[in-house]
Amino acid sequence: MALLTEALKKYIGMQSETEIACDPVERGAVRRYAQAIMDEDPLFAEDCPNNARFGGPVAPPLFPTHMFRRAFGAPDPIQLRARDAEFDGLGATSAQGLPELVPIKHLALLNGGSEIEFFRYARHGETVRLRSRYADIVEKETSKGPMLFVTIETEYRNGADELLMKVRRTLIRR
Amino acid sequence: MAMGSPRYFEDCEIGAALPLLEKGPLTTTHLMRWSAAMENWHKIHYDKPFAIEHDKLPGLLVNGSLKQQFILQLLKDWVGPAGWVWKVSFQFRAMNLVGETLSIWGKVADKRAGPGYGLVEIDLGITNGEGKESTPGKATLALPHRGGTPVPYPFVPPQA
Repeated sequence: MALLTEALKKYIGMQSETEIACDPVERGAVRRYAQAIMDEDPLFAEDCPNNARFGGPVAPPLFPTHMFRRAFGAPDPIQLRARDAEFDGLGATSAQGLPELVPIKHLALLNGGSEIEFFRYARHGETVRLRSRYADIVEKETSKGPMLFVTIETEYRNGADELLMKVRRTLIRR
Repeated sequence: MAMGSPRYFEDCEIGAALPLLEKGPLTTTHLMRWSAAMENWHKIHYDKPFAIEHDKLPGLLVNGSLKQQFILQLLKDWVGPAGWVWKVSFQFRAMNLVGETLSIWGKVADKRAGPGYGLVEIDLGITNGEGKESTPGKATLALPHRGGTPVPYPFVPPQA
């Protein structure tokens, strides 16, 4: 049974609208993030000699990728699916602004890896926006059975439309 | 890591190892703190029955999104304040489970001088206490020349 159906192929090339993160880069959010990744670099905390050339305190390099959270008033998947034993806790939040892949929404999701290019840090106070596309979806036969490799390309920019980073993610669905 | 002194392109030797970065042992508390910090509630990182019975995993997984942070820390600290981490790629080839201690490693694979700054190619990965590799990858780092200026910011890739 092929996982890569015609209905699924229609998603390849699909591009998201520009999505703006619900909050700007907040110092408290940066602190919790830096503590969670166990990298309390002064770059991330306050003005210091090493972040002068970046224009002041910045967020950790990958922080922009985690800024796209549930906005005030947006539906709460945790409550909506509280009685759904199949709910994996993620909902559609892993799709980087793209619609959920409905034909395979029942399949488990694993993070396959990424290729990332960095151009700027996101500074404290800046807004961040993204735009994504489903670059490819391929099926591969593995020792654990057939799996789908979903490639998503995303560009992150700040409020001045300056490029922060480009990410090419591979998500494994099985 | 002391971030005071820049690292120069001329000081990098092909084959040299980056200082090992160790993280762990990683507990469910570490993973819960990370899930909360990024507001990502994927159950395979904290709901053991779901991970094992529903997703057929061997246990609670260390988040790939956390492992990639460790790789960035290794590289950022190594290039220092005047350099730049330009490109990073990695694959999550194997799972890491709660309780493991991870060693994040890097090695200079190649280097090439350019006008303004030099580029250093890095092979990297993450091994657990048994030496098993889970996250092989590569990076391209930009370093200033000794006596030159810092790598441009925002970063300007070299002309092809």
